Amino acid sequence: MKQLAEQIARTDEVPILLTEEAQKFTQEVIGRSGERVDWCYQCGKCTAGCPVTFAMDIEPSRVMRLVQLGQEERVLRSKAIWLCVGCQTCTTRCPQEIDIAKVMDTLREMATEKGYAADREVVTFFKSFLDNIRKYGRTFEPMLVFQYNLKSGHLFQDADKAPLLLSKGKLPMRPSKGSMSVQRIFDALEGNKR
Amino acid sequence: MQVAYYPGCTLASKAKAFDQTARWVAQKLDVELIELPQWQCCGGLVPQVTDTVMGLLAPIRILADAQAISDRLMTLCSFCYNTLKRANFAFQRDSERRQKVTDFLEQQYDGNLKVVHMLELIRDEIGFDTVRSKVTKPLTGVRVAPYYGCLLLRPPKEIGLDDPEDPTVMEQLLEALGCEVVDFPRKVECCGSFMIAHRPELAAQCSTTILRSASSFGAQLLVTSCPLCQFNLDWQQMRMLESNGEISPVPVIYFTQLMALAMGAEPHLLGFEQHLVDPRPTVMELGL
Repeated sequence: MKQLAEQIARTDEVPILLTEEAQKFTQEVIGRSGERVDWCYQCGKCTAGCPVTFAMDIEPSRVMRLVQLGQEERVLRSKAIWLCVGCQTCTTRCPQEIDIAKVMDTLREMATEKGYAADREVVTFFKSFLDNIRKYGRTFEPMLVFQYNLKSGHLFQDADKAPLLLSKGKLPMRPSKGSMSVQRIFDALEGNKR
Repeated sequence: MQVAYYPGCTLASKAKAFDQTARWVAQKLDVELIELPQWQCCGGLVPQVTDTVMGLLAPIRILADAQAISDRLMTLCSFCYNTLKRANFAFQRDSERRQKVTDFLEQQYDGNLKVVHMLELIRDEIGFDTVRSKVTKPLTGVRVAPYYGCLLLRPPKEIGLDDPEDPTVMEQLLEALGCEVVDFPRKVECCGSFMIAHRPELAAQCSTTILRSASSFGAQLLVTSCPLCQFNLDWQQMRMLESNGEISPVPVIYFTQLMALAMGAEPHLLGFEQHLVDPRPTVMELGL
């Protein structure tokens, strides 16, 4: 991957004159994702197929273009990268075979690392999800919902659903029996972060 | 035929009907499902985050456990299937991540286990003719729309279950059960997925589009293999039916429930009472 970034840096494949700073961002995205974002020629298939384009501030194809142009702040500050649910339609349809969903994933990682995470709710949701697994080994939805609502400040979101879901057997009262080694692994990994 | 079986969290809680009908159908088809003795969450979408080893660890541990039992692992939930298959793919091809995972694994795994979906098992090993021969109550004239969603099919290079744009495996199964297949244009579109948790209004829009489409093409039942799709479409449909009469009910059921129905399972085994939009009135109306 590093090689790829260097190769792009060497040649003049990035056709527009960009500042060094801007080029650095483009190359970082390409290097980390392993995907040739610079191959995108703006056909717009990803945008047309994306099920959440309607809610995005910047459509997927424009995200690709902004990455090519090194627009770090606009991309990492966007809400769009957090609305992607990873349905892989864009990846499946891209004529240049760019794994766009993976690029979105890389952008979320970078936005989190650089303190840009605009839509904190999804981050909160994923953190609650991981905490839930750490504790129970399997997802235990009632606790997951409770913890997420508490952390996100949506205290009573979905509270009205509870009686109905309970009556349909969709809200178990006890977690199903998971494996306790999960907690040990989480701990081991945290002691060995990159 | 013996196959290791990983149910996954949802099939042990929210989607019990999926699990119980799958076990019943498997028995009818002479497949012995051996549930992993102790299993944990596969990690859902988290393993696809590329910069973490932790993500791969959960699914690979499941594969290692399965390898002790069989040469393949069957699963049903589209999320679990996608996660396990992609983790296996990464483990087989990415030596750097493979090494890191192995260091933490506490057990042996060689990467050779095959992850299969029950639909794959039926199509490739059991055969639709065998399914047809077990049908005691053909669903003749029942208009059923197959809904695939995302994770059962995509990304095609790693999943490879069927054509990602125009899959046919569920259509073939439905034909074997005697149904009239309803092909509708949104069958591979995303239902809104986990946005139901943090952006429910957006998930609602995605689900509404799919439901309207299936309904306008005349579907009486929608069939899926994903507990999250099932929940999203069921939930949204209940709200649509409550607020206005723009669609007639199209209950969303699992393909195994429909198979069990056609193969003559007792009604109490089907788990229809767990649905928000109750399939029983529709099923009764159709004389099943």
